[in-house]
Amino acid sequence: MAIGISYIISLLILFGIYAIFALGLNLEWGFTGILNFGHVAFFGIGAYSTVILNQMGVPIYIAIVAGIIIAGLFGVLVALPAMRLRGDYFAIVTIGFSEIVRYFMLNEEWLTGGPLGLRDFDIPLSFVPSQYYNIAMLILVLALLALTYLILKALINSPWGRVLKSIREDEDVSKALGKNVFRYKIQSIALGSAIAGLAGILLAFNHKYLNPNYYMPLITFYAWIIVILGGSGNNKGTILGALIFWTFMSLTRFSPGYLPISSTDLGALRMVIIGLLLIVLMMYKPEGLLGNKEELKLDI
Amino acid sequence: MIQQLIFGIVTGSIIALGAIGLSMIYDILDLVNFAHGDFMTLGAYLTFLFNVSLNLNLILAAALGIILTGVISLILDKIMWKKLRDKGAGSITLLITAIGLALVIRNLIVFQWGGSNVGFDLPLSQNLNFHGIMISTSGVLTVVVAALLMIALDLILRKTKIGKAMRALSDNKNLARITGINVDNIILWTWGIGTSFAAVGGVLYGLNTVIRPDMGWFLLLPIFAAVILGGIGNPYGAMVGGLIIGISQEMSTIILPSSYKIAVSFVILILVMLIKPEGIFGEK
Amino acid sequence: MKDNNVLEAKNLVAGYTDLDILNGVSIELKEDEIVSIIGPNGAGKSTLLKSIFGILKPRKGKVIFKNEDITGLKPNKIVKKGMSYVPQDKNTFPSLSVRENLEMGAFIKEDGTKEKINEILTKFPDLKEKENQKVSKLSGGQRQMVAMGRAMMLDPDALLLDEPSAGLAPNLVDEVFQKIEKINKTGTPILVVEQNARKILSISERGYVLEMGENRLEGKGKELLNNEEVEKLYLGG
Repeated sequence: MAIGISYIISLLILFGIYAIFALGLNLEWGFTGILNFGHVAFFGIGAYSTVILNQMGVPIYIAIVAGIIIAGLFGVLVALPAMRLRGDYFAIVTIGFSEIVRYFMLNEEWLTGGPLGLRDFDIPLSFVPSQYYNIAMLILVLALLALTYLILKALINSPWGRVLKSIREDEDVSKALGKNVFRYKIQSIALGSAIAGLAGILLAFNHKYLNPNYYMPLITFYAWIIVILGGSGNNKGTILGALIFWTFMSLTRFSPGYLPISSTDLGALRMVIIGLLLIVLMMYKPEGLLGNKEELKLDI
Repeated sequence: MIQQLIFGIVTGSIIALGAIGLSMIYDILDLVNFAHGDFMTLGAYLTFLFNVSLNLNLILAAALGIILTGVISLILDKIMWKKLRDKGAGSITLLITAIGLALVIRNLIVFQWGGSNVGFDLPLSQNLNFHGIMISTSGVLTVVVAALLMIALDLILRKTKIGKAMRALSDNKNLARITGINVDNIILWTWGIGTSFAAVGGVLYGLNTVIRPDMGWFLLLPIFAAVILGGIGNPYGAMVGGLIIGISQEMSTIILPSSYKIAVSFVILILVMLIKPEGIFGEK
Repeated sequence: MKDNNVLEAKNLVAGYTDLDILNGVSIELKEDEIVSIIGPNGAGKSTLLKSIFGILKPRKGKVIFKNEDITGLKPNKIVKKGMSYVPQDKNTFPSLSVRENLEMGAFIKEDGTKEKINEILTKFPDLKEKENQKVSKLSGGQRQMVAMGRAMMLDPDALLLDEPSAGLAPNLVDEVFQKIEKINKTGTPILVVEQNARKILSISERGYVLEMGENRLEGKGKELLNNEEVEKLYLGG
């Protein structure tokens, strides 16, 4: 049997979206050492903001920009009080925040449509004939992935990026050098959250539909697995990680026909394997595939 | 109002049982055990296995399920956590590993028992009714069992050599090591007690509501709040913290939609972290 | 002259990460002795104790204890061989009572703990009064007594003390030093690192002066006390 070309295209779209999403996390964790366990919240906030604004009559392209900015602002809003906390506390607070955001989406039907979610919103590229829509979407996603990658590359090689790296390596040294560590961390999480917002918006366009279930805490861990697999602090590694991750996800999703196993069971087994992968990576290769062992300091 | 208070004490007892183990493990192993809630789930499902699939009576089934959960945590220490400790892995490495473990446990449960709710094989019980205030028998059982276990833990910590060594380890791990305390052994005891308490909490949760694969995950956030409220490493603080969180969650339903219960514990968590991060009983 | 070596360090080289702090230090501790190690900050005094006790793994050299090579053994093994160590700070379990602290000192023993605790408490009458109090409520001097009492629970064949007088008020310092002498009189050899060179040398059989991680001088306690160089460098003229 032949794997349909459309199947590969939809896989690549998801790969691109999650690569962008994970690049945002890598900026925060890999380059700044911020232990954000609520990344998915900004994924959802970006998507919901754009869709709600659009449904209120804001033109879609303006709504996209607004959604990205709102996601970034929420990043600042969470980080302002929480950034003073220890790393492990920050992780707990952010994961809690992402759950609160999800409860909000589920409960505030007047705004979010509740468990039924939102549909009927404008989609960019709607001028493209429907048989070519997916390929156009893929091109858009990959272009935005390339753009995100290049912007991050330029930023990380700028003086700003070097400060971030020094914060990751030794916060006390950067403090002693007179850098306002707090401000740099806030900037990093703002940008990382905005990038997550962009990824979320793209996912909404891909599904043409929004639903609170897309924003389970598990999605944050997808990003973590992608970043750690590729190597924390390595953007090329993150993109490679996303590719491996989605290939694995779709291969196992694709096999029900060949294995004597139900799709629920298969989904569960897939997550067991991902969990085991995370454990094995932490035990034997915490620096990931492309990470630099010398440079990596997982515990700061 | 009194009704909510009673629900709150029941919920709080379950949260406290989870919080005790999380707090001790957090402190002694420097591990934020994101898999702790899933041990609660595992305890409930193993009890379900013995009770419903193997037809044992519920008390025997619960005893087996709880002990087995404790034993699994000991095996995991041997094959995972000890190796990471010996490598000098720091708290963030341990935390990410715990997330991996949480995924493994939860999804093995889904794989084995499916994603839908299950329940124990229970004789029909009548709710006690005091002038319109309802108290279920399982609720009474929950509070009694939790209270007995907490008294037992207090005795262990104050009267036994192992318990005193646990407190010593929580004070100063390096000194414990150079004093000759068998640190690895005490860590195993901590896992055993902490995880079996969590499993008891899971079984009691199942008695009061239903058993589902994500129940432990949803208990985890209130448990974190209880641990931080009571001060990390303070089992007594965890007990009080659990009750405060449970009662606040249930009381909040008077003014908020009940789906925001968890948000209440989250707000308490944030406030404690910002105002008194060492917990309400902390001395540091 | 007593010449039975209980503990001997030969040419120890040790340090943290890539930096050596000890560059080949040798010392001996004989039966019934108090031996002091003095020297300026950064001379490697504490590092020496840590490498003897296995907290730090020596890169080169040997540690011989009771005619047995214990180089590189972990502290929990060394405790079982009969050596006790009292670190400079954080040397008690603050949330445990005095009695419980002592009990932890005998963790590796199966029985006889109660009798031993009572014996130690009679040696430290101040602690006897506070035996059920949390150590965090005690004064600095009392805490130092608890730490030494805990180390004595196993009747060690050698006791290592790291700056027992650090951070104590002058009157308490004397008390701690009297206790050190008293413990030694009951037959325990003691190796002690001290900043307070004059006081420790006056109760020591012998002393070593370390400098830059090397042996600088050694001799009888009284001799070092009267040595001009020592006087000028460490006794404040």
